[in-house]
Amino acid sequence: MRVVIGEDLFLLRDGLARLLSAHGFEIAAAVESAPELLRALVDERPDVGIVDVRLPPTHTDDGLRAALQARRQVPGLPVLVLSQYVEQLYARELLADRAGGVGYLLKDRVFNDEAFTAAIRSVAAGGTVLDPEVVQKLMTRGSRTEPVARLTPREREVLALMAEGRSNAAIAQRMFITEKAVSKHAAGIFGKLDLVPSDDDNRRVLAVLAYLDS
Amino acid sequence: MFLLILVVLGLACGAFALAVIHVDRVNAWLWALPQRLRGRGWGWLILPAAAMAAAMTGHVHALAVVELTIAGAMVAWAPRLAAKVVPYAVLGLAIEGLILARMYHRGFNNQVLYGVVLAGAGSWRTNLVLPETAIFFILGVWLLVRVRAPGAGAVRALAGRWLDPRRGGISPRQGLFLLPVVALTMQLLGPGNWFGFQSVDGLDAAGLDLLLATAALVLLFRSRVWAATLAAAGLLVVGGYGLLKAAYPAAVPGFSYGFADLTGPRIGPYWVMALEGFVLLGLGLWLVPQVTRQHLAPPADPELAARAQQLTQRVQTLTRTRSDAVDTAAAELRRIERNLHDGAQARLVALGMSLRAAERLFPTSPEAALALVSEAKENSARALTELRDLVRGIYPPVLADRGLADAIRSLALDTPLPAEVDVDLPGEIELPVAAAVYFSVAEALANVTKHAAARSVRIVLSYAAGTLRAEVTDDGAGGADPARGTGLAGVERRLATFDGILAVSSPPGGPTIVVIEVPCALSSAKTSSC
Repeated sequence: MRVVIGEDLFLLRDGLARLLSAHGFEIAAAVESAPELLRALVDERPDVGIVDVRLPPTHTDDGLRAALQARRQVPGLPVLVLSQYVEQLYARELLADRAGGVGYLLKDRVFNDEAFTAAIRSVAAGGTVLDPEVVQKLMTRGSRTEPVARLTPREREVLALMAEGRSNAAIAQRMFITEKAVSKHAAGIFGKLDLVPSDDDNRRVLAVLAYLDS
Repeated sequence: MFLLILVVLGLACGAFALAVIHVDRVNAWLWALPQRLRGRGWGWLILPAAAMAAAMTGHVHALAVVELTIAGAMVAWAPRLAAKVVPYAVLGLAIEGLILARMYHRGFNNQVLYGVVLAGAGSWRTNLVLPETAIFFILGVWLLVRVRAPGAGAVRALAGRWLDPRRGGISPRQGLFLLPVVALTMQLLGPGNWFGFQSVDGLDAAGLDLLLATAALVLLFRSRVWAATLAAAGLLVVGGYGLLKAAYPAAVPGFSYGFADLTGPRIGPYWVMALEGFVLLGLGLWLVPQVTRQHLAPPADPELAARAQQLTQRVQTLTRTRSDAVDTAAAELRRIERNLHDGAQARLVALGMSLRAAERLFPTSPEAALALVSEAKENSARALTELRDLVRGIYPPVLADRGLADAIRSLALDTPLPAEVDVDLPGEIELPVAAAVYFSVAEALANVTKHAAARSVRIVLSYAAGTLRAEVTDDGAGGADPARGTGLAGVERRLATFDGILAVSSPPGGPTIVVIEVPCALSSAKTSSC
């Protein structure tokens, strides 16, 4: 699996490259500024781009903007955005094109390399991975507005785990229920959110979006 | 007696011989004398004062010797005490001079050595007694203040009131010239001047002078400019009169003029008269342009006065808000320091210790080492979380990345209530103001979620006429008291640094509206693609 890394701090860029190589990823490019990143993403067409939000030249959200720009040029290009802090605002912007293949994680999550590589693979496969911290913030609000208000507490829990990018099996394990029960909850969620049957991955993205929009 | 003179003469000769032998040393001693005397404060003045007091008695006798001995001993062994006594000794001399002058006025005519003046016996020098008295008086008062003798405080306070330049447009010292003018005028207009009387029965001229001097002082305190004007006019008239009288004694009526008295037995009062007239006229001429300038000065411009008042208030406000801002910044730094110290720093120390322990354990018990390593990992994750929270409190990253509008949107998203945001900003707000408004809105939102029992909240951000306005409206219970709690007070202080204000309207039953207004400049709109 080919990845492009956009990270301005040498230590982190190098560490990421080493970690990913060790897990069998191929580093197509490792760049340190937003313009370079945009070029690398568009030219290299990696399976996934791993992007730091804050990059040169302005050291604000250049990385995020480069990633969004790349996705406009190459629709559905999977990007996993890393940051020292997470904002619902940025999560919305990343998910706004409803194409999936988006991840948004705190940099700390790199510590857990299995979960991290799993998240990369999930994003590469078109899934949506949101940081538990974003999801937690989502959980504290939105419960009063339609149509999310119609979800049962159990369904909401499942939706939160979906937003974190977990598979049905992982959700089942986490909630100590069977995978079948998870599928049932998922169907309930999709039904209540008026998501027509389609590709499961896409419906998961849309469910999370519905949650974000509430 | 002859023996005594012989002994004294012998001693004097011996001293002279010694002085000649050690001429260099004597010379050096004489040169150093002023320094040495000054080193003892002004106490040395007691010696001449005592000598003068002794001389006034006419002959050197036992009392004078005792007086001088005491004075010398004081200078030698109690210079501080001598310094404290000196002003009173000099003032005493002045009073003696007054009495002496009075006595001469009444016909006393004995020869007396007063200070350096050998008065009496029909000498013109008798006229110098009063000027010398005045000099002693001034010197006494000056010394009193200078050596801080008892009573100096009162003199200082009195002088301070007189000489305080803030008490009027013109220096009060100029108005003081009114006093001699009044005194002299009274003398000239008094019957003694017209008829050559020595004294006036029942109505003492000096007492009348004092009365008028007091009246002049009152005028001085009420209107300095008019006192000085009157003084200038008076000096011109009185001085001119003196010169005229001295030049043409026959053409101008009168017998006395200041210290000159044509009726007395003294010789040469005319040159005293001329000198007095000259000095007074000179003072008058010196005063006239200053007084004129005062009168011609444009009246205070009311607009200017209002502006001055405005500026004064502004300076007061700025002083207060600046000190608030400094306090707030210092408190903030302290909070950050403490957070870092107790949080991330401590965790990093623990991290290092865990890793070191793991390093030691690896060869013997790899499993225990592994446990330590994962503990270290936990610690580093926690340190990161704490740092993240801290950074958010110092300066929210979204604000840095995206500016105020998106930062407020992000704030709304993180609010547990449904929050509607309406932003109408034609440009970007400069960062310090943006941060202040951001934290103010954050505080208002926190209050809504904590206290208002609201279902939803609405934030409106707008900019008009150079003022940024943020409005946070909730549909809660209302009845919020902005005076309660420190949160909003802190916000108010923070905004005050930028001349911003905070207003809360919260009638019982709601809605509660928090309005924040800050005057600020707007930079051109951000050209970002997002």
